[in-house]
Amino acid sequence: MHNIYFIIFALLIILYIFYSIRKNKLSIANSFIWIVFCIILLILSIWPTSLDWLANVLGIAYPPALFLTIAVVILFVMNFVQSKKIEDLHKKVIDLGQELSIQKSTQKESPKPKTPKPKSKS
Amino acid sequence: MKDPRILIIIPAYNESANIGSVLDEISHDTSKADILVINDHSTDNTAEIVQKAGVKCITNLFNMRYAWAVQTGLKYARDYNYDYAILMDADGQHIANEAWKLYESAVQTNSDIVIGSRYLKDLGYPCPFFRKIGTKFFAGLIRLFTKQKIADPLSGFQCLNKKVIDYYADCGNYPEFPDANLIIEMLLKGYKVTETPVKMRTRESGTSMHSGIWKPIKYMVTQFYTCIVLFVKYIGKRKAPHA
Repeated sequence: MHNIYFIIFALLIILYIFYSIRKNKLSIANSFIWIVFCIILLILSIWPTSLDWLANVLGIAYPPALFLTIAVVILFVMNFVQSKKIEDLHKKVIDLGQELSIQKSTQKESPKPKTPKPKSKS
Repeated sequence: MKDPRILIIIPAYNESANIGSVLDEISHDTSKADILVINDHSTDNTAEIVQKAGVKCITNLFNMRYAWAVQTGLKYARDYNYDYAILMDADGQHIANEAWKLYESAVQTNSDIVIGSRYLKDLGYPCPFFRKIGTKFFAGLIRLFTKQKIADPLSGFQCLNKKVIDYYADCGNYPEFPDANLIIEMLLKGYKVTETPVKMRTRESGTSMHSGIWKPIKYMVTQFYTCIVLFVKYIGKRKAPHA
């Protein structure tokens, strides 16, 4: 009976994801992983025995431990990917800020004598 | 042969108490070089003081912190074809007529980077105890990883040639703290890094970016970690020093 709460929770999250996509607050590409999460949650809520079956197949005695382990691994990977994205965006913001600061401060001067080289990533 | 173009880059953040006297001294003592102040979005009147002194000033659109303010200056030097860039602090620690020594040393020794060193000779710089420990520790790391002796790896008083200006301006990974880690990286990449003894003063007023308890700890930990990772990164990729 308690599973009904998880089903409602997963459906609400799915609705919120689609609402965010419609309002252009979440891209379709970024929504994918969250939709996958919700579908997994739905499956586990509707058929709770599927977790027991999977734990049995993998030789794990306590099925909730399997659920938590999978969740931690997925969140860790997602966090790592986000961290890399933030780093990349930080570099771009700094680069843009620097170039714009120079342009704004020198716009009254003569134009740059040399075109900047394309940025090399190292 | 035409004279090389030299740019003195001074990053400044809330340095209204020091910047006026620093610029007076530099204008007086190093007339052959252009001066550029990078105002790192100061909240005081640093920019007005610089403009009143008739010195070129670039104001960063937001506070980027020391390293990226320096990189703004290096991008300017790259765009305007400067041959040498001298990095100086805005807090009055670096003495203007010592800057010329760095440039002369860069030309004489054909170095890519010349570091103004407080500890190569005892010139009476009063070094705080913890700073001395940090300096010796990172000097030891540099020696261990690169076999080169650098006595003052934490000195921001440096002269860079065009090759280094272009590299720093274009590199996508200019570090937040460009000290021992950057020296190790440049040595492992085969750049020629030398030192020349210079006199320095202690900060005239205001607070250092490494003040407090948490900031020096963060600095030491990140520097140490970065040095180790850099050493691992360049295993098998180390280049011989340039002639």
